[in-house]
Amino acid sequence: MSGSLELVCPAGTPATLRAAVQAGADAVYCGFRDETNARNFPGLNFSPREMAEGIRFAHGQGARVLVAINTFARAGDTDPWRRAADTAAECGADAVIAADIAVLDHMACQHPRTRLHLSVQAAAATPEAIGFYAKAFGVRRVVLPRVLSVQEIAALNRAIDVETEAFVFGGLCVMIEGRCSLSSYAAGRSPNLNGVCSPPEMVGYDEDAGGTAARLAGFTIDRYEPGEPVGYPTLCKGRFKAGDKAGYLFEDPVSLNAGSMIVALKAAGVTALKIEGRQRGKGYVTEVVRAFRRAVDAVERGHDPAEIDGMLAALSEGGRQTAGAYRKIWR
Amino acid sequence: MVTGNEGGSLPVFAQRLLPPFAGLPLGPLLTQSLRSLARRRPGLFERLGEHGTARYLIDPTDLPFAFCVVPDGTASRVRVTGKGGAEPCDVVIRGPILMLLGILDGTLDGDALFFHRTISVSGRTEAVVALRNAIEDAELRPSDLLGLRGTLARFADAGILGGLSAVRHLAAGAPAREDGRA
Repeated sequence: MSGSLELVCPAGTPATLRAAVQAGADAVYCGFRDETNARNFPGLNFSPREMAEGIRFAHGQGARVLVAINTFARAGDTDPWRRAADTAAECGADAVIAADIAVLDHMACQHPRTRLHLSVQAAAATPEAIGFYAKAFGVRRVVLPRVLSVQEIAALNRAIDVETEAFVFGGLCVMIEGRCSLSSYAAGRSPNLNGVCSPPEMVGYDEDAGGTAARLAGFTIDRYEPGEPVGYPTLCKGRFKAGDKAGYLFEDPVSLNAGSMIVALKAAGVTALKIEGRQRGKGYVTEVVRAFRRAVDAVERGHDPAEIDGMLAALSEGGRQTAGAYRKIWR
Repeated sequence: MVTGNEGGSLPVFAQRLLPPFAGLPLGPLLTQSLRSLARRRPGLFERLGEHGTARYLIDPTDLPFAFCVVPDGTASRVRVTGKGGAEPCDVVIRGPILMLLGILDGTLDGDALFFHRTISVSGRTEAVVALRNAIEDAELRPSDLLGLRGTLARFADAGILGGLSAVRHLAAGAPAREDGRA
């Protein structure tokens, strides 16, 4: 791939969209304030008017806006998804990010001039699956599930003729993306169908003498000592007791930082790098986007991976980080 | 032993300067201020959706009083209340006043303050999340709350934000309680 890497950044609110663009994002992804997008949290996201204004602002600064309509339409009630797709196209979105074939089909038939990106929620990681979406709906880019190594991405890119976008920073879901129902078992709602994992109305923090219990729908997901930093209770990162042993049953609470892999991802033919975090504040988004802007520009100037890694070292927030599946090693 | 004040509470001498409880007509002033803001920027309150009618108890741990806020647009209400009262509310947010003001003006990250236990939250989590997101998008300046515009607004913002920054700096190195504990 000979073009420059595109930096795709999150925006949960109009203020964050402006902050991301001013910090150097090439593109911003965001969604409407309803269940059509997989980050359907109270007070977050965009009204149609805010979306139109946000797109005008981004275009004025030379940036693009990608609208996520990436949940799966509900049988018998597809109007919200149809309306979101039509509104995104009317607002002048540069692309719609979708996973549901009904949404993809509606866009392809009704708005053929709007680019289609395949959401990570579609979990398409094979040439056959991606080829199907490209042929059937004219998908131009696929957001890769976070389960592939760099070598696997390189091989995949050689076998397909659509662009690929890879997550490089932020929260890490390692379940089969688009098919995670863990939240539903406790809360009756899931990211793929309702746009929300661990809905906040079912989240509670109860304090007692022994510390704080983080609960989801009444289930204790983790306990923290007095003064210990707490986390948001998601089942996949919960700490449970099995037998006499307490530990993280599904996955450790680590976040993705593939900064050191940017050079390799570019060599593997990746078109765009994606930063996760539409729920994060504009201060955080500004800091991360600025750091990745510097890193991507340095990659384009030929700096080596160790230098790039150093530029992003300050972003760890004291938490644990991983390069995820991009660097698969023998353990 | 005197130690630094890592929690960012007001220094003891500053706490002593404050009136014991509702010594100022803060409630009616803040009510008018919020309602005026809602007339100028209705979108800010629309973002709260159904949570605009929730009752938020904002309890600055280093002040002798707390605020009960219903951010219901042009029908918003703020009441100053004493500590430990039986004020019915949907959400309680507690923390040092300088930290709470820092979240309001966007200087500080509310998520980080919560996850690191500088502020505490109880009650309806979804209402807290909605308020956090609404404030995050609002980009409020002191002049927005005071209803000022133009040069006066610029002076007020520079003065108040500069003053808060200085007090925060002072608080970070000053004891918050006489035993030196934050």
